[in-house]
Amino acid sequence: MKNTLDIAQAWRSDGEPLVHIENADLMPLPAPLDNLAMDRPWKPLSAQAKEKYESGLDDTCAVSVPRPKNEDEERRLVAQFLAGLEKLFTADNNWTFLQPLLLTMEHCTHCQTCAESCHIFEASGRNELYRPVFRSELLRRLYFKYIKHGGLVSAWQHGEIELNWPLVARLIELSYRCNLCRRCAQSCPIGADNGLVAHELRKLFSQEMGIAAKELHEQGSMLQLKVGSSTGMTAEVVKDNIDFIDEDMSERTGIEVHTPWDVEGAEVLLLHNAGEIMAWPENPGAFALILNMAGVNWTMSSELAGYDSINYGLWYDDVQFARVALKHAEIARKLKVKKIVLGECGHAHKALCVVADRLLGGELNIPRESSLTLLRDIVMSGRIQFDPARNDFPVTLHDPCNLVRLMGVVEPQREVLRMLCPGFREMEPHGVNNYCCGGGSGFAIMSGHNFPDWRFQVAGRKKMQQVLEAFSDCIGPETPKYLCAPCSNCKGQLRDMLAYYKLWERNRILYGGFVELIVNAMVDVKPGFLEWEWR
Amino acid sequence: MPVFECEGRMYEVDEDGFLQEPERWSQDVAKDFAQTEAIADLTDGHWKVINYIRNYYLQFGIAPMVRKLCKETGYKLNEIYQLFPSGPAKGACKLAGLPKPTGCV
Repeated sequence: MKNTLDIAQAWRSDGEPLVHIENADLMPLPAPLDNLAMDRPWKPLSAQAKEKYESGLDDTCAVSVPRPKNEDEERRLVAQFLAGLEKLFTADNNWTFLQPLLLTMEHCTHCQTCAESCHIFEASGRNELYRPVFRSELLRRLYFKYIKHGGLVSAWQHGEIELNWPLVARLIELSYRCNLCRRCAQSCPIGADNGLVAHELRKLFSQEMGIAAKELHEQGSMLQLKVGSSTGMTAEVVKDNIDFIDEDMSERTGIEVHTPWDVEGAEVLLLHNAGEIMAWPENPGAFALILNMAGVNWTMSSELAGYDSINYGLWYDDVQFARVALKHAEIARKLKVKKIVLGECGHAHKALCVVADRLLGGELNIPRESSLTLLRDIVMSGRIQFDPARNDFPVTLHDPCNLVRLMGVVEPQREVLRMLCPGFREMEPHGVNNYCCGGGSGFAIMSGHNFPDWRFQVAGRKKMQQVLEAFSDCIGPETPKYLCAPCSNCKGQLRDMLAYYKLWERNRILYGGFVELIVNAMVDVKPGFLEWEWR
Repeated sequence: MPVFECEGRMYEVDEDGFLQEPERWSQDVAKDFAQTEAIADLTDGHWKVINYIRNYYLQFGIAPMVRKLCKETGYKLNEIYQLFPSGPAKGACKLAGLPKPTGCV
């Protein structure tokens, strides 16, 4: 592959992919994935997909935008894009993020510090298409030409760009090649935010053109607002499932577990990502057990959206974001709880604890807390007895970007792991310098066409390297290992990626949440809570 | 919508290959979709899993929790993976004619 890419290719009218990646181009991985034979070949995008959907960016297709039928439709779409672009740069229409967006447009000096911090750029073998400024440079040129109406001098100073449908179609896909982990923004010496650029583009496409990944919109925030949860669970189903979990937990631990519903005036309203209930029931089960044993007065809510903390709008649409955040706050207000506590879901943390702060005023501004700080306090309080010998296996910790880099919750989970897991070892780098799992911004649940190949081979590759290095002293199958990821989205990505590379089958690397390790070490719990079975 | 064709029979599917018209499902449809999952023959074990998922779906409108599926069918999860190599959600649910599971699952 020729690793150069002229930016003018982005508005090339043929609609053909700009780059093609071979496994041999990618960043090498450590043992046991250190030979190309272990690296799986990519499934090519099918002829049917290429014919029906815009796929002029790279080897895959994330959003499945239908190809316009004729030039009229193309012109209409470009006009919509331009209208959306104008809105993006007005305070009335973009009160949320206008200031950092303008800063990013006006002040980037192309120093490329961001590129050195981007896991996608590095893992792709430094493919120019994935260089963080490739995307933002396109938006920047559009900004100078169509928003600031610069003439020839501006074009000479800031670079030329031609706005046509092929460019818009490529920008749609390109806005879904960034995990929004914002490691680049953290490293930028002047605070320019390329992650925000991807986010703002997605927002423009969703709010102005009705184009978004269906997993996030139709099957995500829309479904949540309609039936109560992105999983499709109604209140009846979630209660039935939680009954099942309580019963299952009681059997497994030997301690009667009961989940309280809709308790007015409770100290804590616990919001789980509903995916935990469906796919990792031991996680909400472990929460219930710990909170009960610690004597916390807590509750779950069976109101619409009250049993699902997800807020996918955070990743693509401010309006959808606000609708869900208001629902969550309203439920807490009606129940008169003292505070909302977020379970193990990174983006829900950032959505409700941080971004919603700009939205929730007066009575709705109810205190919100991470479960990790609450759990740390419970574990350290001495109210529960632990036997760390029960967790005597290698454990490493993945830092969910939203929770750690973007909220600064770094130490509470580590204090617990250092106390309860004798085999705890850090990945390098970690904490706020962590790398995304590769599933960030919703990728973990996007699996159309061959997108998973890109998601595991490129987006998740840096994390894969970190995990394998953290366990390099015990990589053989004789030692079971635990990759702790306190976030549903990260867990989904890590599960799929470990399965993709057969790392459970061959090397006994299991993934799981944080509370499970706490329960596994409780003296009062029947030994062997962790089942060491793939799920 | 992409189309999946099996011996002249056409099915509308989503980008992940899940049947888009759940009401069209029958045992024959499951057999056609088995080919997309590299399952040569549907055994009694496969049907036990498919029927449980299908009935749960008709009652509640979504797929059952995986742990419930295991408890109710008596299969451990790794046995379900042996029956359906791409797993309960992407494999078994697809054959049972459910839409692709949604949310962070």
